[in-house]
Amino acid sequence: MPELSYREAVRDALSRAMRDDEDVFIMGEDIAEMGGSMGVTQGLVDEFGPERVRNTPISEMALAGAAIGAAMQGMRPVAEIMYEDFLTLATEQIVNQAAKHRYMSGGQLTVPVTFRTQGGAGWSPGAQHAQQLESWFVHIPGLKVVFASTPTDVRGLLWSSIYDDNPVVFFEHRTLYGIKEDVPDELEPIPLGLARTHRQGEDVTVIATGRLVHEALAAANEAEQEGISVEVVDPRTLLPLDEDALISSVRKTNRCVVAHEAVVRGGFGAEVAAVVQYGAFDWLDAPIERVGAKFAPLPFAPVMEEFVVPHAGDVLHAIRRTVGRVDGN
Amino acid sequence: MATEVKLPRLGQGMESGTIVKWLKSEGDKVEKGEPLYELDTDKVTQEVEAEASGVLLKIAISEGEVEVGRTIAVIGEQGEQVELAPSEPAGNGSAALEVSGDPEEEGSPARAREQDRARGRRASAALSDQMAEIRQPAGDNGGRIKASPLARRIARERGIDLSAVAGTGPDGRVVAEDVERTAASGAAVALPAPALPSEGVEVQQLSSMRKTIARRLTEAWQAPVFQLGITVDMSRALPLRERLVALHGEGVKPTISDLITKICAAALMRHRAVNALYKGDAVELYPTANIGIAVAVPNGLVVPVIPGCERKSIAEIAESRAALVGRARGGKLQQADLDGGTFTISNLGMYGIERFIAVLNPPQAAILAVGSIEDKVVPVDGQPAVRPRMELTLTCDHRAVDGATGAEFLRDVKAFLEEPGLAL
Amino acid sequence: MLSKSDLREFFREMLLIRRFEEKVEERFRAGELPGFLHVAIGQEAVAVGVCRALEEGDIIASTHRAHGHTLAKGTTPNELMAELYGKLEGCSHGYGGSMHLYDVERGNMGANAVVGGGLPAITGAALAFKLRGEPRVGVAFFGDGATNIGTFHESLNLAQLWQVPAVFVCENNHWAESTPSWQHMPIEDISQRAVAYGMKAVKVDGQDVEAVYKATRRALEHARGGKGPVFLAVNTYRLVGHYIGDPQVYRSKEELEETRKTQDPIEHLRTKLELSGDEVEEIDREVQEIVEASVEFAKNGTDPKPEDALKNVYA
Repeated sequence: MPELSYREAVRDALSRAMRDDEDVFIMGEDIAEMGGSMGVTQGLVDEFGPERVRNTPISEMALAGAAIGAAMQGMRPVAEIMYEDFLTLATEQIVNQAAKHRYMSGGQLTVPVTFRTQGGAGWSPGAQHAQQLESWFVHIPGLKVVFASTPTDVRGLLWSSIYDDNPVVFFEHRTLYGIKEDVPDELEPIPLGLARTHRQGEDVTVIATGRLVHEALAAANEAEQEGISVEVVDPRTLLPLDEDALISSVRKTNRCVVAHEAVVRGGFGAEVAAVVQYGAFDWLDAPIERVGAKFAPLPFAPVMEEFVVPHAGDVLHAIRRTVGRVDGN
Repeated sequence: MATEVKLPRLGQGMESGTIVKWLKSEGDKVEKGEPLYELDTDKVTQEVEAEASGVLLKIAISEGEVEVGRTIAVIGEQGEQVELAPSEPAGNGSAALEVSGDPEEEGSPARAREQDRARGRRASAALSDQMAEIRQPAGDNGGRIKASPLARRIARERGIDLSAVAGTGPDGRVVAEDVERTAASGAAVALPAPALPSEGVEVQQLSSMRKTIARRLTEAWQAPVFQLGITVDMSRALPLRERLVALHGEGVKPTISDLITKICAAALMRHRAVNALYKGDAVELYPTANIGIAVAVPNGLVVPVIPGCERKSIAEIAESRAALVGRARGGKLQQADLDGGTFTISNLGMYGIERFIAVLNPPQAAILAVGSIEDKVVPVDGQPAVRPRMELTLTCDHRAVDGATGAEFLRDVKAFLEEPGLAL
Repeated sequence: MLSKSDLREFFREMLLIRRFEEKVEERFRAGELPGFLHVAIGQEAVAVGVCRALEEGDIIASTHRAHGHTLAKGTTPNELMAELYGKLEGCSHGYGGSMHLYDVERGNMGANAVVGGGLPAITGAALAFKLRGEPRVGVAFFGDGATNIGTFHESLNLAQLWQVPAVFVCENNHWAESTPSWQHMPIEDISQRAVAYGMKAVKVDGQDVEAVYKATRRALEHARGGKGPVFLAVNTYRLVGHYIGDPQVYRSKEELEETRKTQDPIEHLRTKLELSGDEVEEIDREVQEIVEASVEFAKNGTDPKPEDALKNVYA
């Protein structure tokens, strides 16, 4: 079993897809010789050449839109949006065009495009280079949204996203690029729409995404010392959401914490909380806790950044609150 | 061939317009494309062009609001006969297209569109009923009672067993209303309580101290109470107490309060109706006087109970009292210390309060308020004399105790305090 | 290059579009058609001239004013009218309506309600053709108004940079809804916009269908030959309002009258072909029958079921 970093796992999925399939090509800003701002596409231009590893101008609308156009003609382009924040510029094409061509044409078209992007706080990138915007896209019928948190998951899910016939917005997290893990020799595609339970527990279910999966696992270990048994579940695909898995977990533990790095208000956690509340209403012994960033743009100074962004400690507090509470109290 | 001129739809969402004025008169020649009349829509007033050439044979509606699709004029050849159904304008400002009767001919486009939309809405409403089933627990709850969080809270506070409550909420869930109804019906299914060793008495499990007090006091306000006042000559009681103090030895020094407690216990045994708890549809009479002593503590008031006061000597009562007060002041009272009271004494004499009315301590039927002992000038054998006097006020729950009963009890308390031998 | 019979074909085609659009206006005013409708009366020569120049395999993307392009690209009047009536038999099966007309088999990648929304996809489609070595060209229609939006600039920039086989057809009818071009563009010569990207730009008289055809043929040859994309600055006129029912309060009556009299592309072609009154009447009767039939077809079409709304969201 080779050990791959998250970054290498993404690269591996891209390379294997491009080797297998002439129709797969990648485009984005600075992805060729430079290998991308996060080094993800390092070396790919050497293997596949500049026709299939294309640097684009700083033109998110055309970048996204051209990928959409090529996909409509049957190719499987993977467009990289350098920073998640710049999704805002590409959003018209992703939301108005990619998500809707199939529908508006009455089923005549498929748009098998994948948009890869990365975001996340932790290195003082400042407010315009660190957002977590996945919840916006979960709101759009016609799109699929994926957010993997481990090397094995990101490799298997990126492959499946490329080969999904629908437009997929694929989120990566900047601070996870370096984490390493043993992965299977052969790439094992992971179906979209399947959650993963990282840790079994009895007292409370923590549903976490991205970086917060790791924070949740750390919090769970702490909680264990305090006699609280925590189950950690990563939905991995945010749209379509594996509602059954989340609901059965909470029916087992009777308590739920949702944790993500994105701002709490209007975040993906709100959707999960609503789904869980509805499906496990009579199994809940405590209100559902949401952990996420505080309601402010991301500050620059490290001391402030750490204050805004959620950590294991916040997850632990939320866990404790759920067990400290009894019915209706 | 005559052409009917109908009011056109000139924009999305336009359902009607107002004809402002006709630019041609009946009998005029009209060319296709020529402005024919002025129309006021929501957005703008504009000229509407003729869609056919010919002679304007008839103007059916000269002005006012008209629905889209209505015939407003006829263009045809000179001399053509025109038959138009008599029609009036829609009326002043009634743009109502939805309902309305005749102006909408069967099969008119507007109606068809509205029907289409209604069909879509109905289908959606039907679907959302089904969707409720998708994520609902199907049947088996695994032993959990389906009850709303609010219902659970109320049940817990009122000591009601949820499993005995019939649910009328969504999916047969127990909701707040169901619990309230069960509580009010008095068939209050009590939570099974741990049995305490006590003959013939059922003791109820209590919830947290503060909530209990608050709740009880609130309930007390709802009880129909009356107060009886009496003044006691303490001339015999005070020396008795001193004698007991001299005799007490190592133990706790008995106080006037301990004496009063003992006297009350004796009186309660003679007047069992006052040593009672009011329970809604029953009054429980107790064989033993468990007297609660109101103690002020930093955070409020607690009423620890000395059980079986009629069996205890004054010295023993003093011991119990001292221990309880000590624990109360130290915040170390146990639930058992607070349970089982049948009567309460509240003494504010040490504060110099001469008289006051104590608030009932439900479900107890009565509470005695003790005032300070003051020297007063009273007539003795016709002559003024100074005597130590103490006022007692008894508050009773009239649902359990009536005036005479309470008065008899109080009279005996006074008699026993003034002539202690009578209590033996 | 074009024979007389070719041109007669064009005349018929343009007249068909004209009568179709007039019928759409009529049916809309009668309250039968839901939604927004924008007719292309006055711009028929551009639709026919461009689409008739395309080869098999070439694709188009259109705008909110798409009926002419759609018919010219081969969608039948029946399918188009049925779509406007929201029927399953419509080219988008009732899911799109006037501004989302698709006919993928016939190379129509869709009309777009977002101004400039379809341009990047044409750059992308052309990229796909190039990568795969297919001799196909992607053609985008858009108006003068669209030359102000980001997607226009990014798409042209990228297309020229990557030398993809695309043709960008700008139908400059001098109005962006109610805003005249002098009020929305700081330049007068719209072809300058393409020159800014180093792209070959050609000016075309859009009311002359033959000129449009020839210019398109040359542009396609250029693009197909690997020489890069071409921008066609087509000068045309909108003889009606922006949308059906638009009272055009922003336009002078005289200008409109004058334009209608002198800039009708069908009139121009009729004059050029020297068609007699009878000949025109015959063609007119034929196309009107087709148009009437399409309305019948549409009205008798199948309504989608309400639940059909949840299909086609995902592949």
